[in-house]
Amino acid sequence: MQYMLLVYEPADAYEGEGGEALLQDVVGRHMALAEELRAAGVQIEGAGLQGVETATTVLTGAGGRQTIHDGPFAETREHFGGYYVIDVPDLDAALAIARRVPGVEGTKIEVRPLIVHDQ
Amino acid sequence: MTAFGRAIAEARPRVVAALAARLRDLDQAEDAFAEAAAAALAAWPNQAPRDPGAWLWRAALRKALDARRRAAVRARLVPDAPEPPPTPEEALMAADEPIPDERLRLIFVCCHPALALDARAALTLKVVCGLSAERLARAFLVPEPTMLQRITRAKTKIAAAGVPFEVPSPAAWPERIEAVLATLEIAYAQAYEDAALAGDTAGFAAEVLRLSGLLAELLPDDPEVLALAALVRFAEARRPARLDDSGAMVPPHEQDVGLWRRDLIAAGVRLMDRAAGLGRSGPRQVLAAIHGAHLTRAETGATPWRDIAALYDVLLALRPTPVTAVNRAVAIGEAFGPDQGLAALAQVGPERLQAWLPYHAARAGLFAAAGEAVEARAALDAALALRPPPAERLYLERRRRSLG
Repeated sequence: MQYMLLVYEPADAYEGEGGEALLQDVVGRHMALAEELRAAGVQIEGAGLQGVETATTVLTGAGGRQTIHDGPFAETREHFGGYYVIDVPDLDAALAIARRVPGVEGTKIEVRPLIVHDQ
Repeated sequence: MTAFGRAIAEARPRVVAALAARLRDLDQAEDAFAEAAAAALAAWPNQAPRDPGAWLWRAALRKALDARRRAAVRARLVPDAPEPPPTPEEALMAADEPIPDERLRLIFVCCHPALALDARAALTLKVVCGLSAERLARAFLVPEPTMLQRITRAKTKIAAAGVPFEVPSPAAWPERIEAVLATLEIAYAQAYEDAALAGDTAGFAAEVLRLSGLLAELLPDDPEVLALAALVRFAEARRPARLDDSGAMVPPHEQDVGLWRRDLIAAGVRLMDRAAGLGRSGPRQVLAAIHGAHLTRAETGATPWRDIAALYDVLLALRPTPVTAVNRAVAIGEAFGPDQGLAALAQVGPERLQAWLPYHAARAGLFAAAGEAVEARAALDAALALRPPPAERLYLERRRRSLG
């Protein structure tokens, strides 16, 4: 089955003194995990996202009228920071990998199966 | 329950688990078992066969494979039917296998931590024990449609999220067994609450008793599993003594020990002995030891409050919850006098407990023992203001009257 691991981090995860060094450390560990998963044939794709200050949202309103907004779709204390797409036999295998995704205190990894369309 | 009903209920966990392992589908497994049980009603007019489980397994597997075959025939109208259907001959051959024991895998699926705790408890009792959604709704005090939706959602998630039908890996084992134990605890808490209510939920407690015993049989080397099974037996042993003739609650240390069920006490003691021999402590063993200590009054004539207070000290370190702290204060009050009990209670943090009835009941008992009738009455009024269920209300009102 294919699963997406969605990485949510606290909005202030890398702020303040030592934030930049912490970020470099976490990114390095993401790279190492991704490399290992690719080599094992488990990872299909994945990426980290630039900060929410770079986000732009297209909103579809009543009657299909679309408007453009600055910022992420919702102001939350956690930001969606990146994702992995993996192919593993079952949820337990996906959860075992999700546990290994690096993060700071408060990081949440949401594990969601992908919809598979029959060929 | 009739002998017929008992034979079916006893066969159910093993047969449904084997069906679920084979079919990889909880709904199909349950449906096939229900059909086989209905067929058994017609096929066993006077007495059950020598091995009802084997009969039900064969009948249910045949029905399930037939249903699959029919579905596959229908699916042939669509190009590229997914898998070749089994022929009736194959179905019969498969059914001659002995029943594989897949009960543990089924329990781990139903108690997977990816499911919400209340859904796990309901699903386990539904699938493993065969309790109806209607009966579960009554036990969990929710409307039946809510219960049905809870069960359906859990089953849908198991299928859609790819929850595996497997015993967990060693690395995941501690967390997974904890999820199973927490599920059983929720189920039993529900059954225990119901003790004071009408008898229609007594069967629910019996199912939790059976389920905890089944788990102890499947995992005889896990001391916390054994302790939980012992705990349920100790608590159930006191059930016949929990209400007096007027329907009022009777606390354990005032219960008529002649009404306690010696068979369940003995079974619980055996489980605790085995758990102790494994040499790994845990909160459920301590909790079961506390229940067991209360029951020694049947032999000695006195509740060993000092032992119980010491056990609560240990439990508080393992499970620092307000419930533990309040119960510990009561035991300290009985063992060392009400002043020490009140001092222990004062440490709990009363602001968190204002809406919690046992806190006020405990305070009332300690103040009354200390001769502080005014404070005791106020605490009882606070307890009664929280609208306790009838059995507890009768008990608290009687204590209120005794204080004048």
